[in-house]
Amino acid sequence: MINTMVEIKDYSIKLGTFQLNNINLNIREKEIFAVLGRTGSGKTVLLESVAGFYRKFSGEVCIQGKPVVKIPLERRQIGFVYQDFGLFHHMSVYENITYGLKIQRKDKAYKKEMADKMAEILSIGDILNQYPGTLSGGERQRTALARALILNPKLLLMDEPFSSLDPATKEMMYQQIKEIHKLFGCTILFVTHDFNEAQIMADRIGIMVKGELRGVRKSTDLFKNCQDQEVNQFLLGRYEKGGAVHERVCFAG
Amino acid sequence: MRERFSVFSLFEIITIVITVIVISFTSVLIVAIVLKGLPYLGQAFYSEEVQFAVKMSLFTASISTIICMALAIPTAYALTRTAFPFKKLCQMMIELPLSMPYLVLGLSLLIIFSSDFGKALKELGFKVVFDKNGIIIAQTVVNLPYVVRFIRTAFEEVDERLEFISGSLGAAKWERFITITLPLSKNAIITTIILAWSRGLGEFGATLMLVGATRMKTETLTTSVYLNLATGDTGASMASATIILIISLISLFLTNWIGRKNPQESRMKDVNR
Repeated sequence: MINTMVEIKDYSIKLGTFQLNNINLNIREKEIFAVLGRTGSGKTVLLESVAGFYRKFSGEVCIQGKPVVKIPLERRQIGFVYQDFGLFHHMSVYENITYGLKIQRKDKAYKKEMADKMAEILSIGDILNQYPGTLSGGERQRTALARALILNPKLLLMDEPFSSLDPATKEMMYQQIKEIHKLFGCTILFVTHDFNEAQIMADRIGIMVKGELRGVRKSTDLFKNCQDQEVNQFLLGRYEKGGAVHERVCFAG
Repeated sequence: MRERFSVFSLFEIITIVITVIVISFTSVLIVAIVLKGLPYLGQAFYSEEVQFAVKMSLFTASISTIICMALAIPTAYALTRTAFPFKKLCQMMIELPLSMPYLVLGLSLLIIFSSDFGKALKELGFKVVFDKNGIIIAQTVVNLPYVVRFIRTAFEEVDERLEFISGSLGAAKWERFITITLPLSKNAIITTIILAWSRGLGEFGATLMLVGATRMKTETLTTSVYLNLATGDTGASMASATIILIISLISLFLTNWIGRKNPQESRMKDVNR
């Protein structure tokens, strides 16, 4: 039997002029799920909502059956990797990675052992003593991943994790994240605007348009036509401007 | 060199001229105190009264700074990280004294501590009016709104997402505060401590209203300037003013030095070198 990791029911939230409307979504345990949409479609807000970032909303977001906002943040067992990776700049890479273990009052030897293990998996052994300001985009991302994964979270949330990486590093990170997924067995939910990335990485893909989740498809069926013209336009790489539909040059797909 | 000057536009020249006027004005003020005060400085250091004033100023300013920080850090946290009713109104109340004359603040303190409440405190052994405790309270009341505002701004500048990540890594709220918010506001907090301490040293209006100006009893450096000037001893007055100036210069230097220190390693720093 496949268990549900994330369950979103009739979820709506208003943030200033932006609104997420009536989102319904189930994400299974150990699944890799991508939320695909244009900039400003509400992908990040949806991701933050799953993490329990917001308090004022209607509907429900549950992690393993429990409303996320009712679980104290420190006990949610989620790993969150932001687009800019959100590293603690006043700490070295080693201190960043072992932060969660320090909070759990683990001893030095255990922290060292775990940090070395994570460093080996993510190939960051040579930068452990450096500070985040001196790292490249790929190194920052791997540090943020190591920091989140060292606690073996049941749910890993990633906000456009590959957007600031060059194509070669991206390809390498796709493979690395897939290996991590196999190794740690966590559920991964990530948002992206890149069709190619969503197809390579995810089992299923949710398509966001104007604050609404317009459909969930298997990654192999991503480009299948549907009745929603806005979804079709988005997937075909078109955009509307002043009522007219324009072709968009699409490098991503 | 000629090329460097030729790039100045008329707008820039006007701003530079105004800057020179401001610098000249400030320099004249400082030079006036130094020139008048320096000849008496050596003598002043041996004066029992000046020594008392220096000790009193350093002691009261240090204690009031500690009290200010102990009150301002939790207050700033509550104002920036918690949601309680009438928060904006509370913030306005806390910062209201910023726009009040210190003499008026001192008068309010005098009314409070001359009342039955103040008398009860005195009977319990905590004398405020005409006592050094009053100096500490006056300095604290005058500085607290500034300190709360500086620390609040520092906390607001810390990216709340970092605290969120810290929480998702298992940190309770107080641990997020200790390990993320405080270290990231460290420079601003140290600068605030130095500024609060210097402002405490220079406080006069509220102190005068609450504890008066009694030689060798409630005499701080600023009170010493006032008392000596009032009795016609311009030299001693200038000497005390020069000591305040020296302490201010040291704290300004420390503030700038800490402000320039950047503990975060940056790739840009290497590029710019």
